[in-house]
Amino acid sequence: MFLNMKLLSHHGLNGFGGMGEGMSMQLARDGRRILWLAHESAPKNFTAVDVSDPRAPKVVVQTDLPHAQMRSNSLEVAGDLMAVAYQVTKFGLKPAGFELFDVSVPEEPRSIAFFDASGPHSRGCHQLWFVDGKTVHMACADPEQKPRNPKDDQVYRIVDVSTPTKPRAVGRWHLPGTMEGDDAPPPERLPGKFDAGFRAHNTNVYPQRPDRCYLGYIDGGIMVIDISDQSRPKLVSRWTNSPPYNGFNHTVLPLFERGLIVVSDESVKDNAGDWPKLVWILDGRDERHLVSIGTLPMPPVDAFRSRGGRYGAHNLHENPPVPGAWKSENVVLGTFFNGGVRAYDISDPYSPREIAYFVPEAPEGSKIGAVQINDVFVDDRGVVFTVDRHNGGLYALEMKV
Amino acid sequence: MIPDGRTPVFVVTGFLGSGKTTLLNRLIATPGFLDSLVVVNEFGEVPVDHHLLEASEEKTVALPNGCLCCHLRGDLEETLIGAAMRRRRGEIAGFDRVIVETSGLADPGPVAQTLYADRALERDFKLGPIVTVVDAADTGSRNLGLDIAKSQIVAADVVVLSKVDRATDLSTLTEQVKALNPHARRVPARFGDVDPALLEQSGTDRVFSPVAHHDRGINTFHLQFDQPPRKDLLERFLAVLVELRGADLLRVKGIVALEGGEHVAVQGVRHVFDRLRPIDNRPSTGLVFITQNMAERDVVALWQAMSSLKGAS
Repeated sequence: MFLNMKLLSHHGLNGFGGMGEGMSMQLARDGRRILWLAHESAPKNFTAVDVSDPRAPKVVVQTDLPHAQMRSNSLEVAGDLMAVAYQVTKFGLKPAGFELFDVSVPEEPRSIAFFDASGPHSRGCHQLWFVDGKTVHMACADPEQKPRNPKDDQVYRIVDVSTPTKPRAVGRWHLPGTMEGDDAPPPERLPGKFDAGFRAHNTNVYPQRPDRCYLGYIDGGIMVIDISDQSRPKLVSRWTNSPPYNGFNHTVLPLFERGLIVVSDESVKDNAGDWPKLVWILDGRDERHLVSIGTLPMPPVDAFRSRGGRYGAHNLHENPPVPGAWKSENVVLGTFFNGGVRAYDISDPYSPREIAYFVPEAPEGSKIGAVQINDVFVDDRGVVFTVDRHNGGLYALEMKV
Repeated sequence: MIPDGRTPVFVVTGFLGSGKTTLLNRLIATPGFLDSLVVVNEFGEVPVDHHLLEASEEKTVALPNGCLCCHLRGDLEETLIGAAMRRRRGEIAGFDRVIVETSGLADPGPVAQTLYADRALERDFKLGPIVTVVDAADTGSRNLGLDIAKSQIVAADVVVLSKVDRATDLSTLTEQVKALNPHARRVPARFGDVDPALLEQSGTDRVFSPVAHHDRGINTFHLQFDQPPRKDLLERFLAVLVELRGADLLRVKGIVALEGGEHVAVQGVRHVFDRLRPIDNRPSTGLVFITQNMAERDVVALWQAMSSLKGAS
């Protein structure tokens, strides 16, 4: 199923094709383009793929996790440094936090530091943002805090890694009311089956506004956070869609030249059980007053809900401010699980148009009978890389728009 | 950058027996054209041509009830809108382009008009090249003596001269085609053997090299603008032309640099014009007109009169 996208190659990643939401490109010193990928679950930690020729990707390294009750899920590369998130499945387990690697020789990633965030109320780090080589912004538990509800454990944390061997926590922010000792009352939770938690997810910071974090906060909506003083982040504004929607706000992508903010939900129920999970366009000209002006048009839910697995929004290509990444303020790409990867023209933000998509066939051995496209990264050649959550691995696509 | 994700609609036309189906069969067998949705338009009671096409059934749609130009514009719209919906729902495989094979008795103009005039269609589709097949082996006047055959040539972006292996006077035919439409790319072919790239590169925003010519009431001329015109003035100019002489505007095309630096593509067939679409990185060509019974001086005079009016907005 395709429109204006063509498959260049598909790589099953040596039989470990269940991929998370960490995709980051390294322009290696020898000229190669190395795509680093986080796995969705054990046994694998991360895989590096040489995609210099996107028609012939080659795995250059694939690493294992120390045990099966954890996952990496998220990673970012800045120069020759890579940060990898570690989240455990039960409170108190280790390693929980993130690990820093020297990847100057991609075949031989070398661990140089570990930031420990483990604790009795911690599942560690789910997602991180690391684009400047100096600071890790992440959704991670803080062992010094005890959430009132265990689902609210991961907060926004800032870690200084300018001395890579000595990561140093410098700041944190959480939604008032979610931690023991807060003056604010606990937030009203979503109905039981949709109660996913009031906690951080994506934590994007861009050089255009180094004093702002664009924070997805699951059931708590999204926030613009003032981090001009990183030791004391402050809330600037908050936008929520739930209720009446079903929570799980995921990614916040600011388009600075357009005065727009793109927000993705994540579908977390099979068979579109939490429909609608959408991508929203906000008018962000006044960061204090965010206004929803539209959503990206997805194919009809009735045509996709029964195809197997999840159907709905998830990750976006986030215009990462790093060499080798494609940046656009007119075209937004997102992943939609069994709806594949889709590109939208938002040059008129009031009337976004779908301009390209690719939905792979069900990967070989799929237990659900459908692909579950999980994350997307577009490089500055215009090659679209996307991954399957279950077992399909990596797809390289040409976008003909 | 202004992305354009619309699917191009190629129109393959040509008089009865000229070799359209042969061309189409060869075309859709080439690797670059495998992902094509083929729409076949018939004239007559028995739809035959679509059975001759070698595309898979699900990618071939026959419109059996008549001629596109007369009765079936509704069918074409429904077919294309339905195909886009089914593609989006995953009910059919994807396609990169649509190829509409018109009846041999059809004027291709209405197909272009359909794409310009229907806003629902226009969201998903855009006019691709109009390819007219002319039988080079026909030494008589069948090809060029009939108005419908002339209309097909006049509307073309590409004229495929078929059966050149059996042609006895190819140079005369070439000159006749050139006289009717000097802007079209002329491609000789045997057994429909045409380089697909020639068609892909002959889209509707292709830059013309203008040549003035006159042939039995058909005029071709080129309107250049001394100064980049204002967009609203250009729109009004085209609107007045259409109102007064739309039936005689066989084809109007070009890329115009507007006041303020924007470049727009102009596309029109008879009474229907596409809206002025911004276009990147293309040199200005002015406007090329192919008209019937309408002189260059009349068009120039209208433009000069309108552009001399100060303060129009």
